[in-house]
Amino acid sequence: MAGNLHRDINRKLRPFGLKIGDIPIWLGGLFISLLWAAPFVWMVSTSLKPAGEVMTVNIEWIPRHITFENYRRIFAEFPVLQWGINSLVVAVVGTGLGVLFGAMAGYALARLRFPGREALFALFIASLMIPADISVVPLLLAMIKIHWINSYRALIAPTIGNVFSVYIFRQFFLKFPADLEDAAKMDGAGTFLIFWRIAFPLARAPMIATTVILFTLNWNSFLWPLLVTFDDSMKTLPVGIAAFTPELGTHTQLEGFALGMAGVTILSLPCLLLFFALQRYFIQGIASGAIRG
Amino acid sequence: MTALELPGAERKPPIDWAGYVFVAFFTIPFLAFNVAPLIFGAGLAFTKWGIFGKPQWIGLQNFSDMLHDEWVGIAFKNTALYGLIIVPGVVVFGLACALYVHQRWPLAGLARTLFFSPNVVSGTVIGLVWTWLLDTQYGLVNHYLGLLGISAIPWLTSPRWALFGVSIASVWWDLGLAFVLFLAALQDLPKELYEAADVDGANRWQRLRLVILPQLRPVISMVATLQMISSLRIFTQVYVMADGGPAGSTTSVVFYMYQTGIQRQLFGYASAVAMSLFVLILVMTFIMRRFVRER
Repeated sequence: MAGNLHRDINRKLRPFGLKIGDIPIWLGGLFISLLWAAPFVWMVSTSLKPAGEVMTVNIEWIPRHITFENYRRIFAEFPVLQWGINSLVVAVVGTGLGVLFGAMAGYALARLRFPGREALFALFIASLMIPADISVVPLLLAMIKIHWINSYRALIAPTIGNVFSVYIFRQFFLKFPADLEDAAKMDGAGTFLIFWRIAFPLARAPMIATTVILFTLNWNSFLWPLLVTFDDSMKTLPVGIAAFTPELGTHTQLEGFALGMAGVTILSLPCLLLFFALQRYFIQGIASGAIRG
Repeated sequence: MTALELPGAERKPPIDWAGYVFVAFFTIPFLAFNVAPLIFGAGLAFTKWGIFGKPQWIGLQNFSDMLHDEWVGIAFKNTALYGLIIVPGVVVFGLACALYVHQRWPLAGLARTLFFSPNVVSGTVIGLVWTWLLDTQYGLVNHYLGLLGISAIPWLTSPRWALFGVSIASVWWDLGLAFVLFLAALQDLPKELYEAADVDGANRWQRLRLVILPQLRPVISMVATLQMISSLRIFTQVYVMADGGPAGSTTSVVFYMYQTGIQRQLFGYASAVAMSLFVLILVMTFIMRRFVRER
């Protein structure tokens, strides 16, 4: 009898790809995945609480009173808006240039024949072994020398040379059908026109993938903006908001993490939304360019 | 056009001179802002240079100073500990999550989104959120541990625990990348592999150990190497969560480089510290490759 019941349940579960013995693992895994996102929920929940209700002995996942006071205060008391504009300018310009120049280089490395091509690609790949962080001090000294510190160009310049973008576009253009180019050549189009009118617009998938990944990388960048911005007004969001930790023995300790959580909610929102909307491109981009720099 | 008709033109395809223009836009900033500073830094490592004056060539002096600097030992030891905690944590847990999502059970897509999501946010977010979660008195983690009867752990305020606390936050941050790479590798495995194992009557554990894991060895080694490189350069979490403290217990090599180079303005010495880390990363990468190939 029990065997029949067992078989019955298994038949009902089959469309879901589940067997009865799988159910505990299935539910356990779901629970862990929810737990994995819990810090984000706690972050948003804390940011919506009045300062006096943040540090409580009992855990309140849903705020007793919802308030936007913390958000109002960080914008009023700190140059959060300015930091946000700085971050946006740096991430948008840096990503735009990184994608365009990366696409051009990737196209040349895949489709154009010129001496030194393979050596250049080898140099790009070899550079992936070198973490950018180890050359920040000499880079800063050079930037001081050329009077670039505290400027957008200093924040943007080192983000352009991200080999990830070249690699992804090269992969794509290697498989690009030659007859499209040949047809355009017949019509007398030059190399630049072929790239700009035909190849680049057709590279939609690598374009979106590199855009979202580079944007995330540039938006979140920390060490370099920390070093190169001396004025409060030139800081980027991650650097500015990093200072929102309560200091022991000050009034901020009593308010605890209310302001900090409002700050990091704003900081994480663009990338989280981008990820939720374009998840496929994030995951495919990372998987196909596993050599991320 | 007539030039193309010269004898030999068919044997050797013409050079696309435009190629140089195409790569120049990327290559110039790449060389100027990514490669040149590295070479400059390698040179600086052999000099003494403070905020005033010019760099002075002092040969290997910085490196011999490093041997006598107890903070260098602490920073490298801490960095090794970060690697030893974070790399296995990310690889094992990332693989487990990938195996789970790969079953394609209901809501697998949701689980995939959630497992990856911390990977897209800034280190500042990771740092502040976990400083709050790991707060000794009011933190969520200690609250739930308390319900299990475990007394409050001073996660970030005690030198014994702080490095571990920072490592937990790092695993949460880094897991997504490993997870996605494992998932892609699992999806690339041939279907026949699973079917053959089913025919042989292998149970889930046997199938994993005898069929799937051996196939995943290349990707496991790649993920472990990538994660090792990223763990050896740990900085943001250390800076935001503990500022290298308490008592230097979370100071990593990059954090020490920041302290010597920026706060104390010992540019030559900081470059020597950075170069040592670079050599360590190269050596570790080489060893991991060799280790994987020989087994």
